Amino acid sequence: MTRVPEESTIFPSSTPSSAAPSASTPSTSMPRHGSAPAPRGSARPRRKIGLGRKVKPGLLHRVWAVPSIILGLLFTLGPICVIVAFSFMSRPDVGGGVKFAFSTEGYRKLLFREDFFGNSYFDPRYLEVFWTSLWMALVTTAVCIALAFPIALWISMRTERTQRILVLLVTIPFWTNLIVRTYAWMLILNDNGPINAFATAFGFGTQHMLYTTGASLIGLIYTFLPFAILPMYSALSGFDFRLAEAAYDLGATKGVVLRRIILRAARPGILSGIALCLIPAFGSYVQPVLLGGGRVLMVGNLISSQFSEARNWPFGAAISTVILVITLLAALVASVMGNRSARKAGESA
Amino acid sequence: MTGKTPEQNKVITMAPMDATHTEYAELVARASVANHGTIVVPEWLEDKKPDKALTTRRSGRAKNGLKRFPFVGFISVAVLLFLYIPMLIVVAYSFNGGRQALLWQGFSLRWYASVFHDPSIIAATRTSLIVAVAATALATILSLGYVLALDHMSRFGSKLASGLINASMMIPEIVLGVATMAFIRMIGMAPGYLPLILAHTTFCIPFVEMPIRARLQTLDRSCFEAAQDLGASQLTTVTKITLPLLTPGIVSGALMGFVVSMDDYMISNFLTTAGTTTLPIYIFSLIRKGVNPSVNVVATLLLLLAIVVTVISSLLTNRKDK
Repeated sequence: MTRVPEESTIFPSSTPSSAAPSASTPSTSMPRHGSAPAPRGSARPRRKIGLGRKVKPGLLHRVWAVPSIILGLLFTLGPICVIVAFSFMSRPDVGGGVKFAFSTEGYRKLLFREDFFGNSYFDPRYLEVFWTSLWMALVTTAVCIALAFPIALWISMRTERTQRILVLLVTIPFWTNLIVRTYAWMLILNDNGPINAFATAFGFGTQHMLYTTGASLIGLIYTFLPFAILPMYSALSGFDFRLAEAAYDLGATKGVVLRRIILRAARPGILSGIALCLIPAFGSYVQPVLLGGGRVLMVGNLISSQFSEARNWPFGAAISTVILVITLLAALVASVMGNRSARKAGESA
Repeated sequence: MTGKTPEQNKVITMAPMDATHTEYAELVARASVANHGTIVVPEWLEDKKPDKALTTRRSGRAKNGLKRFPFVGFISVAVLLFLYIPMLIVVAYSFNGGRQALLWQGFSLRWYASVFHDPSIIAATRTSLIVAVAATALATILSLGYVLALDHMSRFGSKLASGLINASMMIPEIVLGVATMAFIRMIGMAPGYLPLILAHTTFCIPFVEMPIRARLQTLDRSCFEAAQDLGASQLTTVTKITLPLLTPGIVSGALMGFVVSMDDYMISNFLTTAGTTTLPIYIFSLIRKGVNPSVNVVATLLLLLAIVVTVISSLLTNRKDK
């Protein structure tokens, strides 16, 4: 990049006789080339793809980005707008769908319940579902981060070759089917599964582990662990260990190095790990259904049931909107915190 | 040593230069010139013995005691076991001969045979493959266009576009699923392959686009300039230079898109009709009906797919380092 303008200023002045013929030979066949090397960009050929704008060599005109943007508008922004709109509509008399009449019934239903006489009471049932989802997501995230930090550190301290293999080992579960991973725990925690086989062999009797809150939690942790390890590893893999050595030389103990040097280096990874675990865990559906049975009701199940069995679309849309707002706020906080920690790292560097 | 004034500190005269320590010796020489031939050693350094465990210049060494932290290795191995034992159990049970999914009754491949002849599993796999291949192809083409055009967008525009394109990763899947269903109903699109493929394409693009963009960043742009200086047209440069150089990124992105599409349950679940049941939806319903031995086999095959895809894409991305 920096080399090119340098050449263009040096060549005409110092070695005009040797550089000019070689530069002008193609220019006879391609009139769009200036005979004198001009500053970068202005003499570039402007073969048009799409609209007539300058296109850097080897790349495409920005028109080519339009299809994916349209798809994003249609299938990401469109659905979000529709679901927010639906949350303010009212329920049709029969079946699912919505009636196009403004109503905040969906949101009212989140907090209040009406009896036969039209009196409304505060109804904590749905708040409890939110609370269950939140604490399960928080526990999942906390455990994942706590387990991910040591393994990310461990991987980043190996030789390059070993690192590659270990990252591959962590990545495989990441790409494995979610249902398969959840199903694996159904096999393990089942009443006739391997753990219970051990338990009965040692005289503990059969433990009912499947279809409990604990089982859902294990499933969630198992699912989101790679999501926590990978960003943390990528934050630590670029870590210059000489910083830690300098700290040791200045008399730091291992604990101090871990806390004040390495943990700080891992911070962007920890933050994105939190975002990657917390948000999907909060809206998880498969794990509570398969491992929690009917006993664990999380927000995901609540939404799903409003769109299928309960057929109360405006209410389901209202819950979805609330989740979207929470997610948006969480992402905003994460990005602000990420920026701040990046800035801090920049200042200290 | 206590009670001595700095003047009484030991004075070191210059040691004969050692060939291996010339750099250090030079520093000493420079310092000694500045201090009129003598170097004053601070008092506290007198007693300091070199810390055997804490010397510098170890980064390169494989065995570095400083890189060891208590429990880290133990926890890491435990985590890896935690990640892999459940999968190994699924694989082991897929070779179980009994009718019961959970009672071990000897090694057998009979469930593999039955899965390959099960019409509903084959139909679900076919649907999944159609959707995944179509969505991957579409997502790859769109991502290529997007990545190659990214340079020509204004800063704000590219931020907006990447926000829009990556938003599907940030939104909880369940919300995206019901929202897409509501949207499709709203615009009056008939349920079937088309909305399924378009929705899959949308959430595949972030996964496909990422490795392609990463690959493009490693390329030396002067290749493109060279091609153009030799008379290649804009389009020829893209097809003959850019695309071949991007191939590892494209392949690994496409593989990831394929896996993401094959894996999806949440969003497909709200978009399918009776005719377009994808494999994850079918397995999910099988599991809910009760543990069935053929689920073990399908799960093992899906696991195999994940392993193959991950290994290939890892090989491709690591090759670029060379």
